Amino acid sequence: MVTKQVKRSKAAVKEALCGYLSISPWVLGFIVLTFIPILSTIYYSFTRWTMMDKPVWIGLENYIHMFTKEPLFYQSVKATALYVLMSLPVILIFGVLLSLLLNMKIKGMNFYRTLFYIPAVISGVSIAMLWTWLLQPDVGIVNSVLSFFGIQGPKWFWDPKWALPSVASMSLWKVGGSAVIYLAGLQNIPPQLYEAARIDGAGKLRIFFKITIPLLTPTLFFQLIIQMIEAFKVFTEAYVITKGGPLKATYFYLLYFYEEGFQHFNTGYASALILVLVVIIMAMTMFVNYTSKRWVYYEGEDKAR
Amino acid sequence: MKTETTFEAMKRAHRRRQITTSVVTHSFMILLSVIFLLPIFWMFSTAIKSRWDIFLWPPVLFPEVPQWVNFRDVFTRVPMFRFIGNTFYLIVLKTIGELLAVPLIAYGFARLKFPGKGIFFMLVISTMMIPLQTKLIPLYSMYVKAGMIDTYWPLVLPAFSGTPFFIFLLIQYMKTMPRDLDDAAKIDGVGTFGILYRILLPLCIPALTIIVTYTFLWTWNEFLQPLIYLNSYEKFTIQMGLEMFKGIWSVEWNLLMAATLSTMTPVLVMYFFAQKHLIGGIASVGMKG
Amino acid sequence: MKKDSMKAVLVLMLMVCLVGSLFAAGAKESAPAKEVVTLEWWTWDSEEYNEASQRAMVKEFEASHPNIKINMTLLPTKGFETKMTTALGAGVGGPDVAFFSVANWYPKALVLDEYIKRDKFDIGMYYKGFWDTKTQFNGKTIGLPLGVGASIVMYNKDLFDAAGVAYPTNDWTTDEYLEIAKKVANPAKKVWGAEILTRPFRAIWFNHGENARLYSPDSTKVDGYLNSPESLAAYEWFYDLMRSGVTPTVSDMATLSTENTGPIDLFMANRLAMATLNQGHMLNAVKAGKNFGVVREPGVGDNPRHVNAWSLLVGIWEGSKHPEEAWTFLKWYVGPEGQKFLMDNANLFPSIDSVAKQYKDADKDYVKGFLEVLNDTQVAIWRGAHPSGTKVEASITDLWDKIKLGLITKDQIKGELNALVPKAQAVLDEAKKTLLY
Repeated sequence: MVTKQVKRSKAAVKEALCGYLSISPWVLGFIVLTFIPILSTIYYSFTRWTMMDKPVWIGLENYIHMFTKEPLFYQSVKATALYVLMSLPVILIFGVLLSLLLNMKIKGMNFYRTLFYIPAVISGVSIAMLWTWLLQPDVGIVNSVLSFFGIQGPKWFWDPKWALPSVASMSLWKVGGSAVIYLAGLQNIPPQLYEAARIDGAGKLRIFFKITIPLLTPTLFFQLIIQMIEAFKVFTEAYVITKGGPLKATYFYLLYFYEEGFQHFNTGYASALILVLVVIIMAMTMFVNYTSKRWVYYEGEDKAR
Repeated sequence: MKTETTFEAMKRAHRRRQITTSVVTHSFMILLSVIFLLPIFWMFSTAIKSRWDIFLWPPVLFPEVPQWVNFRDVFTRVPMFRFIGNTFYLIVLKTIGELLAVPLIAYGFARLKFPGKGIFFMLVISTMMIPLQTKLIPLYSMYVKAGMIDTYWPLVLPAFSGTPFFIFLLIQYMKTMPRDLDDAAKIDGVGTFGILYRILLPLCIPALTIIVTYTFLWTWNEFLQPLIYLNSYEKFTIQMGLEMFKGIWSVEWNLLMAATLSTMTPVLVMYFFAQKHLIGGIASVGMKG
Repeated sequence: MKKDSMKAVLVLMLMVCLVGSLFAAGAKESAPAKEVVTLEWWTWDSEEYNEASQRAMVKEFEASHPNIKINMTLLPTKGFETKMTTALGAGVGGPDVAFFSVANWYPKALVLDEYIKRDKFDIGMYYKGFWDTKTQFNGKTIGLPLGVGASIVMYNKDLFDAAGVAYPTNDWTTDEYLEIAKKVANPAKKVWGAEILTRPFRAIWFNHGENARLYSPDSTKVDGYLNSPESLAAYEWFYDLMRSGVTPTVSDMATLSTENTGPIDLFMANRLAMATLNQGHMLNAVKAGKNFGVVREPGVGDNPRHVNAWSLLVGIWEGSKHPEEAWTFLKWYVGPEGQKFLMDNANLFPSIDSVAKQYKDADKDYVKGFLEVLNDTQVAIWRGAHPSGTKVEASITDLWDKIKLGLITKDQIKGELNALVPKAQAVLDEAKKTLLY
């Protein structure tokens, strides 16, 4: 008995060492490329600093200002939160549906898949410019088509009510890029399961909800985290098209950060802003991670170790 | 005889269903594609116009005299071929880095137990939350002191430490693989890392293909870091070349669109061929004989 | 078992070696050669001095200065600012010579007074207005002014002829501006009369009166300036412009301003009869053979008329390792030699009077018009002494949006302005804590 325990603990130590060994490249990179820069960001967040002179220590003043005296902070949090709520569910659902479509074994799917991948290939700035033309209230394609049906299209980016949904719809367009990841996940589902289900007489919808979705949850979890983080970091659309307007409807958090840091050179304060954002995203991610134990199914983890 | 006819009838019905599905799907796909590609049509339409004809009213879809020469000008006004070559060079280096680092790291998280794993994992994820702009100044300072400015090292090194997105992706992918494989290999005397390289990795080809595709894509679209770290014009990358069409007072939209379309094509071609490894055939996971 | 652990270790060692060698290779930076000094010069290209002409200028300079080599880093405009801010902020890896186009960078520019005195460099050769307003920071000289730029109103003569409207003259008023815009526009054909101002501070604003500025000249008070009668008059004029129906739509302007390049595209497509542009746009119009005229921004009553004019500040980074050679290059480049070269081989309007007199196309109409605009009026400085004016401006954009989108009525403007005063004052007070001046 004792020998077995000793053997097990020896094996555990060996496994732990292997574990550390394997993640060491990342750790090294993290320390040099992320940790040290973040340390300086944390330091600067407690200072007043214009980048062009010496930082002046002011303690918590940046944070106090942010939370108590700055309406722009809350406006940007609100705009960002609304954007995340608006875009995230739609992106995820649409992404899954699209990938199911693209997964069908029909001739020419390769071609379609590449087609839908195109938006992902164009840089954010070009996309923003394209959509400005598309959603132009008078001469843009969308409103022209709508007027064909007798509908007076809204002013899209230039209507305080429609600006945010317009920006959210842009992220929909890029969904083809993430279809790739769903597709890989779909590939991983053993076809034997489908066959077995079909033999048992299960209908398409049942198969979808009982087999496809559960086995897709690892991918869904991945996408949820990734897309959520990306959604919180929304920036380019506001920066290129709306400049945060109209009336601060699209005044996203990172736009606020950019203006403070790079236009007003209020870098100490901007550092504080970033840290607050990271904490918020981290909290959300940890929450999702925690709940993931309930709904994510890893076939490889089936036999609990 | 009766069975044969029924069988043939069944086959016919099945084929009919196949064709209907095919037709329906195709029409839907075509419709969806048209909607999705509207901006691309617009880009193309702009790319073949002469500079000051883009904003005419009423808007012209296809100009009378298409300026195909714009596509050539893109490559002569700015050393675009050079920039594309530079970008390819970066892609190759980064792909090597990622493919060396990411499987190793992901394996540690997916399969090995070690104290603090949860915390390390959260750190990996948290790296993705930090926008690049915050790290620019400290990183720049560091690279200047290391003498790496105006070289490709600042752009390539992070790949050798693994991009968190890929690490996360591969972890998820590996976790879906049954541990039976590991156990069987152990019994056969395969070592810890042997399991990674001999058993798991070959099954991760789709995920690895994603890594290659995304590295290609992101390096292709990268602007901020090459801008900050490179000084010599001949070392610039594609996006920096595209930015050159945005002058200080006006933008040459036609050239910019032509350039964007031209530089888009290799990526799409690459993706088209990569799909074989992504979607190819039936992934046979597991040993359920 | 051992074999595969070995494999992993080998992979790791390989990576460590790779990474290590990269660091080593990088750090192997050799000391600069004693004989030849290499200067880093960061610049961009524009209609006035493109890449080719700048490279040719470098060759010319190097020919007469064999001990100095110039590394010209050509950057896209937007990228220039980001890169400079990063380098200056990091305090290392900055250029030797570059444009100091952003006021916040001034503290990092090398003070030149000693060099100027020592070399008896004649600063009187520059237009005085630019010298006084653009090159001084906290009483010290931090750079030399390159070239001349100005906002001018360009009008499309063909569209004017078609509408039978007389061309504007340099003493026209803002009311006439509106009238003309209405007459020349043809909304059915989407031909517009005038463009929408992107921000409420241009010469037109100051022409309404000295108090039409955002805050007091000493950057302390907002009250009495933002809400002054002159300022109100300017806003109400803008309101009328927006309601006149002869300006492009807000979305049109936003599209064209995605890169902050102004309405040049509409103007060149003959869809905008008048536009406030600058000499860079003017050069494009000349190249495209447009039939246009140049006039200054309209004035108000008997008020002095302003012109928004500028000169690009070129300076030396204070962290430069070769300030002496950088100064040699700077005074050649922004001095008569460099500016004459760029004037002859490109399209620069020099900031040196004696050189400008030799302008090759001096007899052309547009040049005459441009120089006339320049000579006649005062240079407008509206940001006051405080670079954080941008932040205060940002705090009042909501009102601008409301006017542009038609969300308020004309008589509500006064109330809005008064309501904005405490808000802008708070922002100004806060911003002054990061005062550079």
